[in-house]
Amino acid sequence: MSQEDSHEWELSKENVQPLRQGRVMSSLHEALSQQDSSSHTAVQLKKQEFEAEIRFYSGDDPLDVWERYIRWTEQAFPGGGKDGNLAAVLERAVQALHGHQQYYKDPRYLNLWLKFGDCCNEPLDLYSYLHSQEIGTTLALLYITWAEALEARGSFRKADVIFQEGLQRKAEPLDKLQAHHKQFQARVSRQTLLALEESPDGDNIGLLEIAEPQRSSLADLKGRGKKKVKAPISRVGDAVKVMNPNRSCQPQASLQLPNAPSFAVFDENSVSGPEIPTLTAQSWPAPPVPRAKENELSAGPWNSGRRRPRSTVSSGLEVPHPVPSFTPYVDESAQPQMMTPCKIEPSINRVLSTRKPEEREDPLQRVQHQQQDAEAKKEMVMYCKEKVYAGVDEFSFEEIRAEIYRKKARKKDEDEIQAIEQKKEEIQRKIEELEKKLKKKEDNKQQQPHEQAAEVMAASTPLGMQGFTFSNAKEYGEKQPQSQSEFQVYEDTQLHKPSCSEDVGLLPPPAADPFFSIFDESSTLTNQNTSCSADRAHQKSACQPLAVRNPVDCLSAKESAAAAGACDELNGIERLSEDAIVTGSYKNKTLCANPEDTCDFNRAAHLASTPFHGVVAQRVPAPAFSQSELKEDSPESKSAALNQETPVGEEAYTEALSVKKLSPIMEASLEDTHSSGASVSGGSLSSVTQTSAIKYLQISEKLELAQSLPAEGVTDDDVAQFLWSPEKRKKLLDSLMSSLAASPDFHLEAGALPHMEVEKDIELGNETYCIKMEYWNDEEYKVFFAVPTGCIFQWDAKGFAIKVYSQPVPWDFYITLELQKRLNSDFDQSFSENCSCYLYQDGCAIVHKNTNCFTLRDILRDRKFITKEIIFLVVHDLLHVVEKLHKAEIVHGDLRPEVLFLGDRICDAFSNEEVPNALKVVDFSHSMDLRVLPRVSLPYNFPTAQTPHGQQLLAESSLPYQVDLVGIADIVHLLLFGDHIQVYQENSIWKTSQNLSKTPDSDFWSKLFERILNADGKSTVPLLRELREEISEMFDSSFKERLLLTLAAVGETFLLVNFQ
Amino acid sequence: MAAQQQLGREHQGITLRGSAELVAEFFSYGINSILYQRGIYPPETFTRVQKYGLTLLVTTDPELANYLNNVTEQMKEWLYKCIVQRLVVVISSIESSEVLERWQFDIECDKTAKDDNGPREKSQKAIQDEIRSVIRQITATVTFLPLLESACAFDLLIYTDKDLAVPAKWEESGPQFIANSEEVRLRSFTTTIHKVNTTVAYKKDSVP
Repeated sequence: MSQEDSHEWELSKENVQPLRQGRVMSSLHEALSQQDSSSHTAVQLKKQEFEAEIRFYSGDDPLDVWERYIRWTEQAFPGGGKDGNLAAVLERAVQALHGHQQYYKDPRYLNLWLKFGDCCNEPLDLYSYLHSQEIGTTLALLYITWAEALEARGSFRKADVIFQEGLQRKAEPLDKLQAHHKQFQARVSRQTLLALEESPDGDNIGLLEIAEPQRSSLADLKGRGKKKVKAPISRVGDAVKVMNPNRSCQPQASLQLPNAPSFAVFDENSVSGPEIPTLTAQSWPAPPVPRAKENELSAGPWNSGRRRPRSTVSSGLEVPHPVPSFTPYVDESAQPQMMTPCKIEPSINRVLSTRKPEEREDPLQRVQHQQQDAEAKKEMVMYCKEKVYAGVDEFSFEEIRAEIYRKKARKKDEDEIQAIEQKKEEIQRKIEELEKKLKKKEDNKQQQPHEQAAEVMAASTPLGMQGFTFSNAKEYGEKQPQSQSEFQVYEDTQLHKPSCSEDVGLLPPPAADPFFSIFDESSTLTNQNTSCSADRAHQKSACQPLAVRNPVDCLSAKESAAAAGACDELNGIERLSEDAIVTGSYKNKTLCANPEDTCDFNRAAHLASTPFHGVVAQRVPAPAFSQSELKEDSPESKSAALNQETPVGEEAYTEALSVKKLSPIMEASLEDTHSSGASVSGGSLSSVTQTSAIKYLQISEKLELAQSLPAEGVTDDDVAQFLWSPEKRKKLLDSLMSSLAASPDFHLEAGALPHMEVEKDIELGNETYCIKMEYWNDEEYKVFFAVPTGCIFQWDAKGFAIKVYSQPVPWDFYITLELQKRLNSDFDQSFSENCSCYLYQDGCAIVHKNTNCFTLRDILRDRKFITKEIIFLVVHDLLHVVEKLHKAEIVHGDLRPEVLFLGDRICDAFSNEEVPNALKVVDFSHSMDLRVLPRVSLPYNFPTAQTPHGQQLLAESSLPYQVDLVGIADIVHLLLFGDHIQVYQENSIWKTSQNLSKTPDSDFWSKLFERILNADGKSTVPLLRELREEISEMFDSSFKERLLLTLAAVGETFLLVNFQ
Repeated sequence: MAAQQQLGREHQGITLRGSAELVAEFFSYGINSILYQRGIYPPETFTRVQKYGLTLLVTTDPELANYLNNVTEQMKEWLYKCIVQRLVVVISSIESSEVLERWQFDIECDKTAKDDNGPREKSQKAIQDEIRSVIRQITATVTFLPLLESACAFDLLIYTDKDLAVPAKWEESGPQFIANSEEVRLRSFTTTIHKVNTTVAYKKDSVP
């Protein structure tokens, strides 16, 4: 069987055109075996592929595609003819590449032309055209082919001239040309010799005379004679002489008579040499005049003379019409067109049909006409005509668009890879630039640009936050830029259509409200950090209406996460297609909301509701506060109560409210403790820290008893709250004031705390500072960044972080001093090494020297800088800092990206590894000194504990240290995914609801989360150390290199803010 | 009488000597066909003969004919001895001496035929039919073989058993393979004593 198959070529050998370069047996087999089956699918697909490639080729060698296409066509259609349409392909190729000067010396281009020449009726015209256009004139192949064509026509002299021309031009490869020339000469001389042998006269060199009488050309051949018609024998030539050597002169003379025609017959060989070929470079404006067309008789109908048979029945008696004695005049141009009806499917192409007369038969002429048409083109094509008709087949717009889309998708992937590599190079380059610029900057000190930069910074902040919150429901990584870009699109629509702003551009109306409200609230959340509980209440209320409308939202957290993923995918597709439309050069298209596009709606729904599912599903036990009482207090609770369809949501809502509405009770209780505490503290004012703490605790125990009546079950809160209250802290610190005052950095100032604002100079101690920006503020304190007045404000240079307290409690200063004391050598750049405190009557200011003006939040703002390496570095240092704090028995309690100042490792683009710290902690507003207050176990009142995840994770019995673990988990989550952590419990193990498996190093991160979230009751210091050491192990040399690169990138961007 | 003898011969089968003669004859006509088809020698130096029911072209160049005769005689001898394994016609360019085409005839000898003298059961006609189809294929290879653009020469290589002493007019040679070649297997024929497999190899087109 296979034997039979492999010899199929033999059966159809007549249908296979020989190729100059031979055929590939496999493709020949394929082509021949497919010939019978009507489905040429594979071949058609391949052809389609080539056609598409021709249209969308973006490289710099379009000839390559054409060449491959042609080679493939030759191989795939062995029969030639219309199937493969080789002639058409060649024609298109020649047209498409017309005028590409770079190919004129390319042998491939010449080959293309020569192959095209084989399809033309008059290849000689083509060769001279090539010669005139200087196409391939440096290549031997042109001359060889040309000469061969001439030789085949018997024009030996012309052929020789062509060879001479090639040799003169030193066409490459010259030896080949010479060899061919020699062979040609050998052939010609052999033939000449043969001719000479046969005709000793040698008059007509090169003409093979036949030894028999010939009639003279153009002589009269009319028959003569009456009985027997005879054509006169008037023969000429050598044979006559040979045959009649002895005859009389008479007949000879009569024979000679017609031998002298009155006109000269053109004799090719007698014309002198140089005139023969016109090798002067001629321009090619007009197509060559068709030659060899004499004596052509156009085909006409054969049956024109036939008469119709008369019908005898009907016209029996009628006189027959006389046959007209004239022939009716028929217009020359009115030839009836003979067209065989094509009954069979035209794609089969096996039926012979007459050629359409209007078709220009010679492809060469067609090409030239087209070129001329193109030159004289006056109309402008308003669609992508070149794409539709670029190849042999016609492409539909849809095909083109699909191809653009596919290409884009492919390109996107490639670009991502490339972008990373490019970035590396850019960074290196920019680092050098920056170095130069920095030097320049130092030279000409100018204040102006800094202020501008500050404005830019301030203006960009809200946008950054919005983008950040928007990405909450998104997955980590590449999705982030998408979300931001989408956001911008959305903004644009708002700008263009101000009237529609209520409908909200891209979003369908139902989803609009919740989307917006969430949007606003979350940005508020980040702005007003301390009023967290209030925000949460708002969030709940914002989230609820959606929960009612969308039953889908009642899915479990997992399901909804999956749905969100699916939605994102959907959305990706949608956006891309939109892109395709936009980039399809139809720029006038307005971007507007598609009412049927529910994708955004779904996504918005998830965005609004997903983060809080966890809370609803796995709530921690609600605090023991009377809910009904609180409900009455709050106006929002009414709306919640109305909302009977969502009892679960309501519960969550009231829970949130309870936190917010806690304050009246707390305040009341505080009043009491305050007064009683004050009375006691007066006695122990002079005691040392330790004893005073003990005493204080004893007092607080007493207080518990005393306060048990008015406030039930709030005793623990009371103790914790005690720390929050500035008054209480003041009391505590008052007892330690002497030791604080002993510090050289402590300055007691008379008078009121100076008012501080951005861009204002303030005086603290002996120094004046110019405040440049505000990090954050809340009711009690503000944190500014300042530089000494008169100093140039450099974004990359260090300055002072000034924390202003509205209460005269230098708590931060106290903690810092304690840290210094307890950590000794471990107290390093992670903390404020140079901090001074200015205590006023109504507040205090703490100045931290040598602080960078950026915090971790600035990094989080731009996700593109959060590389794997940065994350590891930041987490490593975070773990390290917290480990130290816990070692010193201090709980930070409020770990947020904002409070983590960037250390030199990240901020200073020129730092090296010797600067060890990437983070710096100076703010201890909510910290608790557990050495002084060891009994405090309820971590609720730390800000971290009031976050949604904090509420879930921290039980009443949790150790305070755990608060910081929650803070770490949240920051790590922010770094990894850009949004706050959401947790759920599975088999009594807390897990993050984000799928970690997609992140790089997912093993480590899932381990980290598992351990940090489930560290209840365990000692935190060893845990943190273990995790930290695990990260350090990853810091191999290649990691460091990559880290340096990314660090440079981050540092550079921060610096670039200044130059913008 | 003659017809009877003919008939008898057809039924008679084939002997080792007859087989060697048939195969050597095939080589003679085969090589001639290749030389003509591939244009190694000018077409006018060939003349038509009827063989195997086909019109074949045989060289009239006395030197070439003499050379081929020698080879055929030598082959006949070796075939009879069953010590020949392969005959190769190598076509190479005269200018660059690059091998362009390689016709390879693998010969499988049934060495047991040397010992038993009885003829094998296969009629001459059947064998000639098989040979005819091989020769036809050689003619048809023009459909896929590349054009030999430069002047070419041919060379004959014969692979024999190792212990054979090299005759006076022969010399040892390398296999002369083509570096990047496409190989096409043609039909094979057998006399039951000698089996000949034909393969042609040619330079692959640079772009697939």
